[in-house]
Amino acid sequence: MHFAPLPYLDPGSGSFLIQLLIAALLGAGVALRASWSRIKGFFGKKTEAADEDDDDATN
Amino acid sequence: MTTQPTDGQLSASFRDPSGFLFSRDGVLYRQVNHKYEQEYTRLMESGLYEKLVKVGLLVPHLEVDQEPAEKEAALKVIQPERVSFISYPYEWSFGQLKDAALTTLSIQKRALKQGMSLKDASAYNIQFVRGKAALIDTLSFALYKEGQPWVAYRQFCQHFLAPLALMALKDVRLSQLLRVYIDGVPLDLASELLPLSTHLNFGLLTHIHLHAGAQKKYAGEEVKSRGGSMSRQALTGLIESLESTIKKLEWKPGGTEWGNYYDITNYSDAAFEHKKQLVSEWTKRLQPAQVWDLGANNGVFSRVASDGTSYVVSWDIDPTAVEQNYRQVKVEKNDKLLPLLLDLTNPSPAIGWANRERDSFGARGPADMALALAVIHHLAISNNVPLSQLADFFAETTKWLVIEFVPKSDSQVKKLLASREDIFPTYTREGFEAAFKKRFKIHEAVSVNESERVLYLLESV
Repeated sequence: MHFAPLPYLDPGSGSFLIQLLIAALLGAGVALRASWSRIKGFFGKKTEAADEDDDDATN
Repeated sequence: MTTQPTDGQLSASFRDPSGFLFSRDGVLYRQVNHKYEQEYTRLMESGLYEKLVKVGLLVPHLEVDQEPAEKEAALKVIQPERVSFISYPYEWSFGQLKDAALTTLSIQKRALKQGMSLKDASAYNIQFVRGKAALIDTLSFALYKEGQPWVAYRQFCQHFLAPLALMALKDVRLSQLLRVYIDGVPLDLASELLPLSTHLNFGLLTHIHLHAGAQKKYAGEEVKSRGGSMSRQALTGLIESLESTIKKLEWKPGGTEWGNYYDITNYSDAAFEHKKQLVSEWTKRLQPAQVWDLGANNGVFSRVASDGTSYVVSWDIDPTAVEQNYRQVKVEKNDKLLPLLLDLTNPSPAIGWANRERDSFGARGPADMALALAVIHHLAISNNVPLSQLADFFAETTKWLVIEFVPKSDSQVKKLLASREDIFPTYTREGFEAAFKKRFKIHEAVSVNESERVLYLLESV
């Protein structure tokens, strides 16, 4: 069990497991993107990582 | 008329032990419990609260010196900003639900940066505040520790992703499933209803189809078997995937019942302008705080009534009209107008536990003023509602009523009667006045220029 403390809503066993699976896959993508932008950074290209703190609300 | 007590705990606020809403002397407060102390402190001291409020993603609150409703459990009492009108996801247009979903994800991304994570992702926690979707539940934030998955993932998919996908890719009217399923659309149902081609969309394949399959396969499994943990990077990937999947879902308001209503009616420009002028004059005279425009189409008269001062809830039965109205609200940055979906012949009921979690249409009133322009013939003739019952309904719905009587000689009514027997002998101007006089005082009755219609200003008695 990885919740500390326990959530007050049941996240659901299936939802939990599929989430780990999908996230593992997508996390790899995030990691890949991060290294790609570091490589681009190394060659002097400015990264365009959007900063959620700066942008306006979504709607 | 409301199901909510004027004093005491609100009936929708019972699920989360972190605290609850209560009202006292007509003011809304939220009790924060000791149990939630760490989380509340992190929210307030990390700068997260300030950032979210600044961009309008979270309703602001004040810490107030009020007696808590349940003393032993209480850490403090806060007074959140009051939302002008509480609306529900089954009353939202596609664009409104989409913005509510993106607001939730945007909050989650910001929260993660401050070491917090949303512990729920209920569409009912989002309301339209000053024209924008915002979180109203200050107690939705949990402390985040690396390794934890998103506990609200299932809820997010059910409340937002599934209905949005169904609306965009199957039929926009499927938003009404939310009226039946208060905890969001079951994913197996969504998976079954969505077109097969959605299996080729990575986001929908994983977050809906595979998700539904996993739910079925592991239903009732022990907590022990939920092994594994999730890196922060993985969690970010998950949130970004949900975000991009939702951003790609589009629904274009196309063929519509009313879309070009003002072009196909028998209104002359003079009649239209005269009506606008009367609505403007009467709202300026009476200064109603809240107006409900019933049958608002895309909100032309709502905007006349609002005139930047009154708050107008702009109801219509047509999802296209509501969507167009909402898009216009966004362009105008209009903070006084809320477009919502409503079938007046079957208004939103009270739903949820003990029928007390979500208020019915009527329980959220009465309005200070209602507009019922070009709707009476739809209710009285298409839906066979007797005029006396219409008078009762409107008298319970509003204090002031601006109502347009559309006589049988009007081409719109002729159309409605063309294919059926005329069983409405009392549907005349005299019959209308006789029925409405029992519940209203007639202040004005003005014949609309270049038409056979009459506009009334009535006050309920």
